[in-house]
Amino acid sequence: MLNFVSSIDFSNPYFSVLILLVIALAMSVGFVFLSQALGPKRYDRVKYSVYECGVDPFTTASVRISVKFYLIALLFILFDLEAAFLYPWAVLFRQLGWFGFIEMAIFILILLAGLVYAWKKGALDWQ
Amino acid sequence: MHLGNFASLTLFLPEMAVTATILLLILVHVAGKNRQSAAPALLSLAGVGAALLLVALQPASPGRSLFEGMVALDGFAIFFKALTALATIVVIFMSMESRELAGRSQTEYYIFLLSVLLGMFLLAASTDIVMLYLSLELVSIPSYLLAGYLKGKESSTEAAMKYVVYGATASGVMIYGFSFLYGLTGTTHMAEIGRVLAAGKAPLPVYLAAVMVTVGFGFKIAAVPFHMWSPDVYEGAPTPITAFLSVGPKAAGFAVLVRFFYTVFASPDAVAGMWKLHPSIDWTLLFGVLSAVTMSVGNLIAINQKNVKRLLAYSSIAHAGYMLMGFVLLTPVGLKAILFYLVVYLFMNLGAFYVVILVANGTGGEDIANYSGLGIRSPFAAVSLAVFLFALTGIPPFSGFIGKVYLFAEVINRGVYWLAVIAALNSVVSLYYYARIVKVMFLEDPQETTELPVQAFPRAVISLLAIPTLLLGIYWEPVARVAANSVRLLAF
Amino acid sequence: MGLDKLLVISAALFCCGLYAILTRRNAVAVLMGVELILNAANINFVAFSFYVSRVIGGQIFAVFVIVLAAAEAAVALAIFLRMYATTGTVEVDAADHLKG
Repeated sequence: MLNFVSSIDFSNPYFSVLILLVIALAMSVGFVFLSQALGPKRYDRVKYSVYECGVDPFTTASVRISVKFYLIALLFILFDLEAAFLYPWAVLFRQLGWFGFIEMAIFILILLAGLVYAWKKGALDWQ
Repeated sequence: MHLGNFASLTLFLPEMAVTATILLLILVHVAGKNRQSAAPALLSLAGVGAALLLVALQPASPGRSLFEGMVALDGFAIFFKALTALATIVVIFMSMESRELAGRSQTEYYIFLLSVLLGMFLLAASTDIVMLYLSLELVSIPSYLLAGYLKGKESSTEAAMKYVVYGATASGVMIYGFSFLYGLTGTTHMAEIGRVLAAGKAPLPVYLAAVMVTVGFGFKIAAVPFHMWSPDVYEGAPTPITAFLSVGPKAAGFAVLVRFFYTVFASPDAVAGMWKLHPSIDWTLLFGVLSAVTMSVGNLIAINQKNVKRLLAYSSIAHAGYMLMGFVLLTPVGLKAILFYLVVYLFMNLGAFYVVILVANGTGGEDIANYSGLGIRSPFAAVSLAVFLFALTGIPPFSGFIGKVYLFAEVINRGVYWLAVIAALNSVVSLYYYARIVKVMFLEDPQETTELPVQAFPRAVISLLAIPTLLLGIYWEPVARVAANSVRLLAF
Repeated sequence: MGLDKLLVISAALFCCGLYAILTRRNAVAVLMGVELILNAANINFVAFSFYVSRVIGGQIFAVFVIVLAAAEAAVALAIFLRMYATTGTVEVDAADHLKG
């Protein structure tokens, strides 16, 4: 432990950021805990019930979430990862020459087939 | 030494054929209107048939390392590619026959099936742990979807859920083990890892990595204690997929197990016999115990089963245990025994599952009670199922007996007698539950006496599966020779 | 930042992930545990790639692991969605119809 403490580099320009981080964390967490510990705790049924503009709640709070959200998120993840693979190729574009280009074109074509499939299946419709 | 990217393409034709078929299937599905046509099935048959032909044309003799050391083209890889392609062709026939899959959109099914096939091709050949992980996931992920393909049937979704959770965990642990291996050796190529490890450094992380990697591979071949997913997935999945999973990924799992341990953990002169990995741990004992436990658990739990698919699932766990016997001592003879057993096991298991599909089509159920009186209702189905079940037991003159003889011979020759005794006892136990189905078929009265029709095409396929099962019990020399020649792993 | 500190971090992540897989009831939480394990392996790969071997193989492996983890999570979530649609729950305890 002492080794770790003695290895802290005080002259590092980001050291003050570390202090800021620690203080901010301590304050935010501390205030929440303080208010919970020091505040009054009187249980009242009305205070703890669900708020719905002053009237009694009609239905439960859970809402039927459409599956379209999942589909859009899924398609985003997959094509984002395709873009992640495009970055290294883009960096070394010249060195990889024609062979790399054709290889990448085949990669993109395969994923394009997937996109066409998703399109025709209606995954991109409304929303 | 390693072939470059361009030069490797001419030796990569089977995989390219399968990839082209997958892309064509996607296009056909997108462009086509008729959901019920047989076009996807025929197209995938054509694709896998072409791939099998191309595999047969590949030269096995000088082993070559393709794509800068990622994939190897040696006799071992070609053997497994042919095996898995053959299994896929039979499974496509079974899928065309199965009534479970009848009302559904077929094309995605074949896309997934061919993706698993592509993964198995690459898995049997991979010589780099990056490629190994990629192909292992390519085998696993579409098979999660295939297991859950019957969307309306609740047990299918449950099977897929169990499969996905188990599989993801196993592959995560395996990857962690791979990271240790990479860190200890600084390279991802399996042969170089083997060379660096042979110099003998840091035994504890190597053991840890070996154990974690065994978790991943053991999950694929459903060895105990990583077998828990197998009965539920086999019962819930559509029966053609169960048949496929019991043969294809299991064979590919054995291929990668053998290749990985042989290349990384055994030094090149393991030809003389025995593991050369870190002699302070008794690897023979470790894998012997794994094999014995797998066999015993599989056989003992199968006794109580009432659902035929579940029973066959436990029996394939037991067969994985038998095959692990050949793995206990990493000798070429033992590995040849594993390869031979995989060939006969393919025919026996796929045949048995095909009959299960026919009975399920005819009676609507998969319990043993549905098989009562099958000898009267459909003699063809009953007799062929009896042939396959007796072959699975390992009774002469069926081919299963020869397969077991090879495994037993190697174990006894090397003096691991306790394992041979346990395996013999297990074979006797397995006779009970296989023979029970035969008894129900022939000696019990059927619930209805209507005839169970079996069309000409299934008859032909089942006969084509039953003939090698009988023939290889009498004249097995060619297959044994092919297996012995195929234990030629690239020794880079 | 020494190699050993990074290995300790990844080991801690691995244990957190394993704990999540073994104890959580919600299937999505189990999937989160799997992702934690895969990320622990990623940290290992990148750390080893920097400290042990200057070959870039480890970082390539890390990219592949990220992609495959995403693909696996996508498939797993699709299966969980199907489970929710048929049974109304995503708890792993609810999958108990296949037994024996």
